[in-house]
Amino acid sequence: MDNFAFQGLIGLSMAMYLWLISAGLTIIFGVLRIVNFAHGSLFMVGAYLAYAFYGQMGLPFWLAIILSLLGTGLLGLVMERVFLRRIYGIDEAYQLLLTFGFILILDDAVKIIWGGVFKIPPIPAFLDGSWPVFGRSFPIYNAFVIAVGLAVAVGLWALFEKTWWGRTVRATASDREMANAIGINVPWVFSGVFAFGAMLAALGGAIGIPVRVVAPGIGAAMIIQAFIITVIGGLGNLKGAFVSSLIVGVLSAYGTLFFPVFELFFIFVIMAVVLLIRPQGLFAR
Amino acid sequence: MKKHFAALSVVFFLSVVSLPASPAQAQCQLGVPAIKVGVQGAASGPHSDYGRQIEMGATMAIEEINAAGGIAGCKLEIKFMDDENKAATGVKNARYLVTDWGAHFMVGTDSSGVAMALGPVLAELKRIHFFTHAATHRLTEDLVAGKGIKEIVRVSVPVYQDAIIAALIFKDRMDIKRWANIGADYEYGYTSWNLFKETLKKYRPDVEFVASAWAPFLTLDFSPHISAVMAQKPDAIFATPWAGEAVMLLRQALIQGVFNDTKAWWQAMGGSVDVLEGISAEVQKDRFKGNLWATARYIHNWPDTPENKAFNERFKKRWVRLPNYSAETTYSAFFIMKAAVEKARSLETAKVIDAMKGMQIRNPGGVRTFRAEDQQFIYNVPAGRPVIDAKYPIPILGDLKVFAAKDYYRHPPFTPVAVTK
Repeated sequence: MDNFAFQGLIGLSMAMYLWLISAGLTIIFGVLRIVNFAHGSLFMVGAYLAYAFYGQMGLPFWLAIILSLLGTGLLGLVMERVFLRRIYGIDEAYQLLLTFGFILILDDAVKIIWGGVFKIPPIPAFLDGSWPVFGRSFPIYNAFVIAVGLAVAVGLWALFEKTWWGRTVRATASDREMANAIGINVPWVFSGVFAFGAMLAALGGAIGIPVRVVAPGIGAAMIIQAFIITVIGGLGNLKGAFVSSLIVGVLSAYGTLFFPVFELFFIFVIMAVVLLIRPQGLFAR
Repeated sequence: MKKHFAALSVVFFLSVVSLPASPAQAQCQLGVPAIKVGVQGAASGPHSDYGRQIEMGATMAIEEINAAGGIAGCKLEIKFMDDENKAATGVKNARYLVTDWGAHFMVGTDSSGVAMALGPVLAELKRIHFFTHAATHRLTEDLVAGKGIKEIVRVSVPVYQDAIIAALIFKDRMDIKRWANIGADYEYGYTSWNLFKETLKKYRPDVEFVASAWAPFLTLDFSPHISAVMAQKPDAIFATPWAGEAVMLLRQALIQGVFNDTKAWWQAMGGSVDVLEGISAEVQKDRFKGNLWATARYIHNWPDTPENKAFNERFKKRWVRLPNYSAETTYSAFFIMKAAVEKARSLETAKVIDAMKGMQIRNPGGVRTFRAEDQQFIYNVPAGRPVIDAKYPIPILGDLKVFAAKDYYRHPPFTPVAVTK
């Protein structure tokens, strides 16, 4: 029983990483209607920037995370204003080509700047070690990730429900033309949302660097799972992304415990079942 | 007219003087402008430094061989290609290298999957490929000894290193009875764990294999795997994820308290320099409590020979880095190729393979001996524990356990090993 509960907690920490990256993907799709394949690359850039500030320049961990968010947000802003903006009105295949192009460019760019050898900075002292939980040792780091994930969930809810900017974004998401007509600057909302989504991806990348290596191509590891989560939750639905992150994270942790031989496609089985029962995703309207 | 005569005489003079302008070509005794060698490895994605090490080893080898006059007077030329760790790309590259670029030999390959796909294609392309990293035993046991594909030559030790040496070290640890596995979820991980179990069981019928968790390529979070096997309270862990994944796995295991609750951890390719660098701080603080064991397909601090020391010096001077195993195995493959071609006086596969029979060659990694049945160059690499040594910037493997190659290589005729989870 203790082992069961412990594995659930470990699954919860995995779910929070998945939530951070799928939240950004979901928000961007919900408002811009862009399927951003380069979202995993933004996750990777966030991780590299955090490594540069924390591991190379020796800044405090929390400051490195904030700077990494700002840097990746800026990159997102440039991507949206210079490139993505040009393809909104045309065939969706161009989204795939353009964002896939970014994956290749960013993967090579980080390799040119930081080299092909993976990087892993030391664990900040306050996050090192473990707490006794259910008779086992639960890493403080995983507890930290759970806390950040939940804080982001609450923060996003407050942002979209309680602030003027959130209402503007929701209005734009539900009807661009009407939003435009009542004086909302839609192009800037798009830019802001894309940069914000990029920052969420960066947060997912940055908080993991002391326990997950930073390497070219790590974005590819995350993007598939993030897409599965957004499909399960319903494309563009934030609550759906949160719940399906929990489902995928916790169930795949139990898959590792109880069905180690099938662990690899456990997540795909979940997706297949959801698509069979509710093709539009769990929470789509 | 005079003017023309002067010009003509200059031209004549120049042409006479420049007659022996290309001595290498004039002296190449194999009738080719240059010996072309196609080199492949994983040069993109998170394991890209392994391909880079292959490229560095190859480049340094041809620089040295060419400076000393080439192979039978012929200059060497290489072309490096990224196989992206994908079988389809590796096969496509091999076809291009041989049919379009004109490669006489091929060298490299990191992944077992790529190697197994390349094997049958090599027979069709009629080119020898010197494998310098891919570890599945099936490459030489099934494809060479079984199917007779003579184009496969192996220079780097296969999973015998990852699995059988581990069993030989831990068979005497009577305090370890319960083993668990955190495996790479592909052929390399399956065969390593199965070979380990099979070998250890022979010596220790009392041990139990209590849990297995499998991590696919590109796993970033090993905590569910660690906690799943720790639920079975193992005495020791056998782990095969490699490169950056090995570093993540070890760090995530440390913060889950695994090194407080277990007596040993075998990290098969943990002796790779990138892994040792990644766990530097933890080794410095002795956080593994002396319970971490590892090996590699070559370690730069062994053997203690003038050849190896000189190789290390040259490598550091050329690349400002320590040589990893795929650099040494690739470098050595070129010197094996040189010895074989010079003996065969030919580039033909059958003649070159014939020339390797009975070959013993001194490489930086030690003496390699050709075994004709499965076309492996056999040599031994010790296993040990990561330690700090003031002479090196990063931890090295110390407290070395050395086994003779004949004691841990499998021998023909080969009995099959399961390639399943």
